[in-house]
Amino acid sequence: MAFGDHEGDKSRWIVSQCCENVAEMCDSPLNNLCCGAGGGAWAMPYTEERLAYGKHKADQITKTGAELVIAPCHNCRDQIMKGLAKEFDMGNYKETMYIWELVSESLVYEPWSEEEIKKAHAERDAQFERDGVELEELE
Amino acid sequence: MQEPITIDRSNRRLGTSPELADVCFACGTCASGCPATGLVPGWDPRKAIRAIALGLEQEVIDSKFPWVCTLCARCEYVCPMGVQLVKTLRGCRILRERDEVPGPIHKGTIMNFERGNNLGIPRDDLLFLLADLGPEMEEDEKQPCPGFYVPVDKEGANIIVTMNSKEPFAEPDDMKFWWRIFYAAKEDWTVSSTNWEGVNWGLFSGDDENWKIQVGRVLENARRLKVKTILYPE
Repeated sequence: MAFGDHEGDKSRWIVSQCCENVAEMCDSPLNNLCCGAGGGAWAMPYTEERLAYGKHKADQITKTGAELVIAPCHNCRDQIMKGLAKEFDMGNYKETMYIWELVSESLVYEPWSEEEIKKAHAERDAQFERDGVELEELE
Repeated sequence: MQEPITIDRSNRRLGTSPELADVCFACGTCASGCPATGLVPGWDPRKAIRAIALGLEQEVIDSKFPWVCTLCARCEYVCPMGVQLVKTLRGCRILRERDEVPGPIHKGTIMNFERGNNLGIPRDDLLFLLADLGPEMEEDEKQPCPGFYVPVDKEGANIIVTMNSKEPFAEPDDMKFWWRIFYAAKEDWTVSSTNWEGVNWGLFSGDDENWKIQVGRVLENARRLKVKTILYPE
């Protein structure tokens, strides 16, 4: 993904399949802003600058009125959840989820059949034996 | 009176091609669109590019601006002259002495090189953790996944997945989101027991050699296990 390539449209589609009321952060993706933790900034020691940068994103989140924010990457998620949410009042904001977390939580599926479970357990046991993982401690 | 600046074009390390600093006509569109403008007193993308064009490379390299910049590329997208600002600003990171790279990203890069992941998690610890999380998935109250386990080093799987070391280290339950998707889709997937790190701090620290080595390892795992598709959840 890079600025201006509109790859984010795919993420928007995925989110729209999981949620009914999706709000955009701003009028156009070309007007949007990094959360402030990109390019390794989440791991940098410049906390003050990272939060000042993220103030733009915090303001956007507040204006959406949303309770749930979806992040497409580990650093965005940590910045919004552990950085911005603690530093700024973001209105209705309640939580941040990874986009794959949202998909996972939205899934409706059937558990596997007895036959599939048996086959998977046999594969698992063979793998544990190969790798020397002790089964007793797990059961 | 201030000393005149002598521009030494022959010994430049940044902005050496016409596509970089020299074509800048100082309009300032980059600086006005950059969320990092004003965060480091005296610096913005335009000033960084102008400084490089004027031969003051070392001042940009020594400043913290290239590290507060998130390499988001907004500046480059709006630049009317097509100046490669991201490559240039990351270039400043490359030219920092390694022991002056801020924060843990250089140490993590070296840890990854030496031990296969940024946090130095041993192979056996990872294997036990993955084995331990399997039954938790199977018995999950809200979304049970009977029959689930983490397939490790599974030859011929359809997808190989990298991991972010912070998850096995501190947030192991967060790995279950992807796993549940694989379960529901009945995907044939696997992870590698070694060199499984998906985070590539060489990209951020300006360490091209380790950046390349890390990417090579992800490829090598896929080739060794004869997996055609790599899933990189970073």
